[in-house]
Amino acid sequence: MNDLTPGEKGTKKERSGLSKWTRRGFIGAGVLAGGGLLIGIGVRPGNPIDRLAPKVAGGAGEQLINSWVKIDADNIVTAIVPHCEMGQGAHSVLGQMLADELDADWNLVRVMQAPADGSYVVNDTARMFVAPFTMNAADWIEPTWNGLFTQIARMADVMITGGSSSIRTTGQHSMRIAGAAARKMLVGAAADAWGVPASEIVTRDSMLSHEASGRSATFAEFASAAAEQPMDQTPVLKTADQYRLMGRSMARTDIPAKINGTAEFGIDAMPEGLDLSYAATIRPPVPGTSALRMDASRAREMPGVLQILNMGNFVAVVADSYWQANQAVNAIDIEWSQSDSPVKTMEDQYAVFADALDAAGADGGEEAAARGNAGEALANAASTIEAEYRVPYLAHAPMEPINCTAHYADGKCDIWTSTQVPLMARSEVAGILGLDAEDVTIHHPYLGGAFGRRLGSEYVGMAARVAQATGYPVKLIWSREEDTQKALYRNADTCRMRAGLAENGGLQAYDSVFTQRHDPAEACVPAMYSIPNTSVRVAEAPLHLPFQAWRSVDHSVQGFFIESFIDEAAHAAGADSVEYRLSLLGDSPRHKAVLEKVAEISGWREPAAEGRAKGVAIVESFGTIVAEVVEVDMSDGTPKLANVWAVCDAGYVMNPDGFRNQIEGGIVFGLTAAMYGELELRDGAIVQSNFHDYKMLRMNEVPEIEVALINSGDVPVGGAGEPGLPPAAPAFANAVFAATGRRLRTLPIAKQFA
Amino acid sequence: MLNRAIIAVSLATIMLSACGSSEPPQVVEQIVVREPGEPEVAIAAPLTDIALGEEAFQRCTACHTVEAGAPSSAGPNLHAIVGRTAGSLEGFPYTEALAEEDFAWDAASLDAYLADPDGFVPGSDMLIGTVTDDEERAAIVGYLVSLSE
Repeated sequence: MNDLTPGEKGTKKERSGLSKWTRRGFIGAGVLAGGGLLIGIGVRPGNPIDRLAPKVAGGAGEQLINSWVKIDADNIVTAIVPHCEMGQGAHSVLGQMLADELDADWNLVRVMQAPADGSYVVNDTARMFVAPFTMNAADWIEPTWNGLFTQIARMADVMITGGSSSIRTTGQHSMRIAGAAARKMLVGAAADAWGVPASEIVTRDSMLSHEASGRSATFAEFASAAAEQPMDQTPVLKTADQYRLMGRSMARTDIPAKINGTAEFGIDAMPEGLDLSYAATIRPPVPGTSALRMDASRAREMPGVLQILNMGNFVAVVADSYWQANQAVNAIDIEWSQSDSPVKTMEDQYAVFADALDAAGADGGEEAAARGNAGEALANAASTIEAEYRVPYLAHAPMEPINCTAHYADGKCDIWTSTQVPLMARSEVAGILGLDAEDVTIHHPYLGGAFGRRLGSEYVGMAARVAQATGYPVKLIWSREEDTQKALYRNADTCRMRAGLAENGGLQAYDSVFTQRHDPAEACVPAMYSIPNTSVRVAEAPLHLPFQAWRSVDHSVQGFFIESFIDEAAHAAGADSVEYRLSLLGDSPRHKAVLEKVAEISGWREPAAEGRAKGVAIVESFGTIVAEVVEVDMSDGTPKLANVWAVCDAGYVMNPDGFRNQIEGGIVFGLTAAMYGELELRDGAIVQSNFHDYKMLRMNEVPEIEVALINSGDVPVGGAGEPGLPPAAPAFANAVFAATGRRLRTLPIAKQFA
Repeated sequence: MLNRAIIAVSLATIMLSACGSSEPPQVVEQIVVREPGEPEVAIAAPLTDIALGEEAFQRCTACHTVEAGAPSSAGPNLHAIVGRTAGSLEGFPYTEALAEEDFAWDAASLDAYLADPDGFVPGSDMLIGTVTDDEERAAIVGYLVSLSE
């Protein structure tokens, strides 16, 4: 039977106490058998510390304590984090968690990006990605979490930042453990040197002290000796009442540089000693086609042009400057191959979905989740409602243009780029150039936004190929038009939904069928609601545009489907939208509390202001429960966003300001998509090209946003980056219904009131 | 069992984005225009003297046309001016000074006149048409000459 309650955590097994671990054992290695999961813990041959030391602790006087932290002669603690910083604040908060367990002075803490070396594979994140239902899942996963997933992660090339996971996986499991273990080693070294019991030594603000004998020392003074101490892989972590930095809004370490302009992003790469040339590219307008031939007679006469390349799956001009390259590449007449896709317009795409749904009918398709007998319950229900929902393709549109700088010489390749997956990029380049991964170095600074766009590395491969073909160090940049039209996308989909209500309006049965199921697996299941008969089915259909995870992935689609349809059920039952949902959350106390609170802070039960109405939605995603109320102002006949209230329960929030920031960002991202987001197709190619026709919510259109946090536990179980997004569109659409009586079953919203 | 399938799907999603094509496509066509650091090739064809002259002549068009048969305006139609006797266009109210001249315009006389109309033909009133810049004047003359060929 399927587990219909994702997010339910089993009790964590107590680990056995101190085992005898050396640094060699810190990164365990698991064994994988084909197809299934195998349990085992091995010890990785070779000492990763020695190999990594030159890369991360290069300065004199620095002693590498373990793979996650370094302490230098100035008593500066550097947290070495394996996730990228794309504005979500992960670097800073990961550093915060490490520093708290270590009892470091926050002013003496820095954060460094871990090099794209296989040893920094993010074990925990890989584990989360392959065990989608819950982090602390079945026993057969628990004992081997470190070992097994190192292997899987290596295999899948995972050094990944995504899935709202950095804090609750690496932070919670690796950073805190590293900090606590390092603290213990420092204490052990001081205890040995001072001849006093370790239990009498106090650590505080990067200092060790022994009150009875009046001795004290900086962490730096014992850093070298600490490295010789045995490392505890399962140290006791602080409880919430002991937190000094965690749970507080510590200032982010990356903000000053981003304000004063010194922060370096991928596109800023100006590697020393390299005379860069610049490449602009044109990719096929219709996915799956290629450039047959090109007439470059005009382009070759244009200023600054160095080379013109037809690479098959893209055409590139390399020139002295990006502007010159882009002017020239757009002056090339390219003959593209014919596409054999029948999809020329979005109507064609929706027709493809419809065919698959028609074929599945009332009970066909692959079962995603089932409880009770939905078919029977629907047949016997006092009343039924049904509806068909649709959502369009969406682009990520990160503000920093897609870019990659590549230098290939003497059998080695250096890459500078913004990426969420540096190891994957490294593999891709190594594969293309026929090199060993060790001969490819990825330099990856801050990202100017990603939202999932940078989970792929096709642009890195393109840059490597151009560098190889020309022999130049080259910076390849996609124009905004190219990134809007030739990228990878949040999928469109159609969903057919049915609900069966009892006499009293209670929801007895729920059935949905749709065509796209990617990630996370539980997004399509309304598991928090106690609906006795539920079936969720997938009738697969092909996508015309290539898929890429887009902020909150399947939740962005399913959140709209489910929370709009539940609202329809509430209306059919003659019930208030909040009360109806509360009546279905009897088995989900945390969800109930979140929904109650959002009703309270939004003034849900008070009479609506003139011309205004409110809508509600609640979605749990990536471990965090978020309920939102959106208030629209319809007084001029078009929907204007007036207010948004959000309540979040992530278990425990490590940095409240950072968390709120991410939720607000998710809300704005979700409302932008709800209001304007749509990509149209003509002749199989995307129509929209830049921000004039792929619109964003502007400052004057963004509502007042209030975010309240509930810490229902002691540890972070939920993420921040994505969970704010899924409830936004349905809450908005439900508000429009409350104001106008018009039920919106498609997005975006603004054009439906034009 | 279903869990394993789900896990396979999830891993596949990562793998899907991780997997590149089997063999990266080769370069289909490569045009090397120049190497970095080399001077640029000439941009299109350089403007000919005639083209430059036509451009320079624009300053004259407020009063003159060169189109055959077109009516004169403030100044006489200059179509086929080279080889024409000065001041002889039928119907145009020349100054007495120019009307009395009987030389035929050629490059040299056009150049001298444009440089200093009143100096070359005392009493002429085309002062506004003075072209003091040598290059510009040469271009205009060259253009007018070309129209007569």
